[in-house]
Amino acid sequence: MMLTSARPAPNQLWQTAPALTATAALVTLALIPLSTAMALDTRLLQGDPVWLKPVKFHIAIAIYLITLAFFARFIPIATRESRRFRAFIAVVCTSALLELLWVGGAASAGTASHFNVANPVMAIAYGLAGLFAVLLTSGSLGIGVAVWRNRDSGLAPAQHLAISIGLVLTFLLTVIVAGTLSSGSGHFIGTSTRNLPVFGWSRDAGDLRVAHFFATHALQAVPLAGLTGSRTIVIAAAAAYTALVLATFAQALAGLPFLPGPG
Amino acid sequence: MPPSPDTLFQLANPLAMLGWIALLFAPMMPRWADRIAALAIPLLLSVAYTALILVHWAAAEGGYSSLQAVMQLFANPNIALAGWLHYLAFDLLIGAWISRTARAEAIPHAAVIPCLALTFLFGPIGYLAFLALQYLQSQRQKAATT
Repeated sequence: MMLTSARPAPNQLWQTAPALTATAALVTLALIPLSTAMALDTRLLQGDPVWLKPVKFHIAIAIYLITLAFFARFIPIATRESRRFRAFIAVVCTSALLELLWVGGAASAGTASHFNVANPVMAIAYGLAGLFAVLLTSGSLGIGVAVWRNRDSGLAPAQHLAISIGLVLTFLLTVIVAGTLSSGSGHFIGTSTRNLPVFGWSRDAGDLRVAHFFATHALQAVPLAGLTGSRTIVIAAAAAYTALVLATFAQALAGLPFLPGPG
Repeated sequence: MPPSPDTLFQLANPLAMLGWIALLFAPMMPRWADRIAALAIPLLLSVAYTALILVHWAAAEGGYSSLQAVMQLFANPNIALAGWLHYLAFDLLIGAWISRTARAEAIPHAAVIPCLALTFLFGPIGYLAFLALQYLQSQRQKAATT
């Protein structure tokens, strides 16, 4: 196995990507007061408990950051410890924290975060949040390119290709989907009356969050194809996954639900 | 339905009491007294405080700018409960600090107990009492060594 190491995994995360690991840990720990707040709050926002969205965002961003922290080990140590790379990671981590602060702050005030342009402060915050979201997502691009350029990653060729493509695709697909998503007035296309448990995806209207979910999880899905050991399979899997994202994207834009059915 | 502020108040008081009891028995179990009174219980109270502020601060009227504003804040039961949890947590932390400091300076536990009782009831008075006790102990030690 190429991924095994003499040291236990959590230790290696702290050694090869301290800032990403620390931010992921902090974001995870914040779930303790957030879920307590959710248990104490009766307020609803668009039919859901106000804290549901911050809790989901904390989970999603923690998974994103810890995945990046894992892949950072395939970047040469000289690059990882360079001032430029560390500044880049600091920007990614700060963007994550500011994004969560905005989502949590809006929940605390009992108001919407995304698409909220009801007053100048929230409108400016939404604009800034878009910028931070792009910076946050650029983490996968930067790490993907750095892994790609590492000729001495110790990875099998198929794994090297799968990780590089997966990370770069995550950025490209997420920016396309989330860019479109955020330029509208809401995540639904049409009127949603029923939704899927846990994910909240609409079952009777287009929901752009479906494509956002798949786009961002290219980060984990495409690298898994590397375990097949075949570069051809990796390229085919990346193409198929891109097709899946674009199909769910087109489906939502056409106002069609991802999984039609009763709520 | 989430628990009412009254229910949370009823839960928080015995929880804090548990910490004070641990401090009372600190000479027999110093490490556990510290873990309970300086870590576990303040941590739980702080999580509850944080959640209450996250949920209720935005809608609360008043603020920190004047006594009137502070009194207006506490007119909100949820904010008053948060304020009470703040007392419970921080008084207990001071109690734990007193207990730990007394142990390090070999101040007899029997003399510490009244300070703990005062801190429990009237926070700053207990702190003052302990500072006085510390002063007495330092004078006594000085007299013993000269």
